[in-house]
Amino acid sequence: MKIYIIEDDKKLRAELVKLLSAYKYDCSFDDDYENIISLALEKQPDLILLDVNLPVFDGYYICREIRKQSDVPIIIVTSRSTDMDELMSMNLGADDFITKPYHSQILLAHISAVLKRCNSQSVAEKVEYRGLTLYPSQSKISYQENETDLTKNEMKILTILINNAGRIVSRSDLMNALWQSDEFVDDNTLTVNVNRLRKRIKEIGAPELITTKRGLGYIL
Amino acid sequence: MTFRGFLKEKWLFLTCQTVMIAAVSILLFGLNFNISGIVFIGICWLLAMLVPLLWEYFKKRSYYKKLYDSLEKLDKKHLLVSVLEPPDFIEGEILYDVLSQTKKAMNDEVAAYRHLNEDYHDYVETWIHEIKIPISCIDLVCENNKNDVTNSIQEELVRIDRYVEQTLYYVRSLNVEKDYFVRKLSLEQIVKSAVKKYAKQLIVCNIQLQFDGLEKTVYGDSKWLDFILGQLISNSIKYKSDAPTLLFWAEENKDSVLLHVQDNGIGIPDSDINRVFDKGFTGQNGRNFTKSTGIGLYLCKQLCNKMYLNLYADSQAGIGTTMTIVFPKDSLTSFREDK
Repeated sequence: MKIYIIEDDKKLRAELVKLLSAYKYDCSFDDDYENIISLALEKQPDLILLDVNLPVFDGYYICREIRKQSDVPIIIVTSRSTDMDELMSMNLGADDFITKPYHSQILLAHISAVLKRCNSQSVAEKVEYRGLTLYPSQSKISYQENETDLTKNEMKILTILINNAGRIVSRSDLMNALWQSDEFVDDNTLTVNVNRLRKRIKEIGAPELITTKRGLGYIL
Repeated sequence: MTFRGFLKEKWLFLTCQTVMIAAVSILLFGLNFNISGIVFIGICWLLAMLVPLLWEYFKKRSYYKKLYDSLEKLDKKHLLVSVLEPPDFIEGEILYDVLSQTKKAMNDEVAAYRHLNEDYHDYVETWIHEIKIPISCIDLVCENNKNDVTNSIQEELVRIDRYVEQTLYYVRSLNVEKDYFVRKLSLEQIVKSAVKKYAKQLIVCNIQLQFDGLEKTVYGDSKWLDFILGQLISNSIKYKSDAPTLLFWAEENKDSVLLHVQDNGIGIPDSDINRVFDKGFTGQNGRNFTKSTGIGLYLCKQLCNKMYLNLYADSQAGIGTTMTIVFPKDSLTSFREDK
């Protein structure tokens, strides 16, 4: 998945690239704001992240110009948060609107939602990790011949752990991610969910994947 | 304007006339004029003097009475001259002219301050939008370098962001213009999105969340309500008990929907409960527990007032606090929906 970032704050952009790269997105950007529209379209991205306050042209103008030539999904990211700004963005053909400062999980959720909506085929239908295959859309996992259904929460937890493979994911981060998708679980429920997830993985004969780091969280 | 006051004003004229009548009467009497003739001339003279005087008195009295009445009715007194008819006597014209000029001067002054205020308001809004860029940046840096230190930085960052947000809404609450949109909203959605914003802090203090009966529609501005709920949640976190719970529940009656935000925190002492919405009021809790600015709830109340919502607090010290937002139901809209 290619994401083109139009953002003039270099440091913010660099961190954004780092974050998105960690989630397997391929990011590109340019500093030539005179020709940013053609540069962006040349890269043929799957999605454009667009800031509003930019040198030369403002984001709304760029959004309108891109829309004239392409249907690429655009998410406008801005620090202005009035209804007027939101309305403007939508009227100019943006697909989504996020206000700064955004939480990284929220940004990622918006990106994947827009991608899913705009080109459903190209979103990863399945994720593989050490022989374990995840089918997020069907909420299923399989290992060799065996497969089993997961609940929404279990799927979410497993996806996050795989995305952060090799890193410790704290319990509060997991809970936060679940809360962001309307599952307001408490500490005990999380423990239950993780334990059940372990059982499911074991049931289909896969090796023990999730390791508990006492007092810190979980690691894959 | 009393008649006595009016006559007092005319003393010189009246004295001169009286002296003249007396002098003429004496003169005529000396010339052996008929007494009844002298009395007749005297009466005619008096009438000729009093009629125009009375006429002037009643004209002026009615004009100045109107002036005072209008002044009393106006809530912006400096606009008096705009509702006044131009008078047709000389002092009135002078007064009218002076009032017109002072009104103009006042308007200029008001406009200058309004302009200054708008400039300041614009500056603060721009500043707030600018400060959000470094805030986002720090947040991303922390997100990309997760460890205990950056986690703790992120927690502080949330506080900074909250204060910045508070400033934004404070500035907006002072704005005379209406800059909000009242729309139909799902109560469940606004509550949950506010909770999500505070997810980190709520999770850290291991709070027990509960939602009950929120499947209702209300009318309000989503951003403002998000801010208000955020302030209420943040208060519940600030003044939490050891095993905190937070319950959002709604009830509906004939002409309103009530949203209760109920916690089991330390509560508000009876002596403070009536003043929690006052600007700058911190109360016992504000002094004893955490540093409090006394702005949060004041702002909530202001914003609620602007949207014509009611906000009130119920609390028992040591047991908990329930904040309630009352959304009035528009009988017309619900009638239309029923059909």
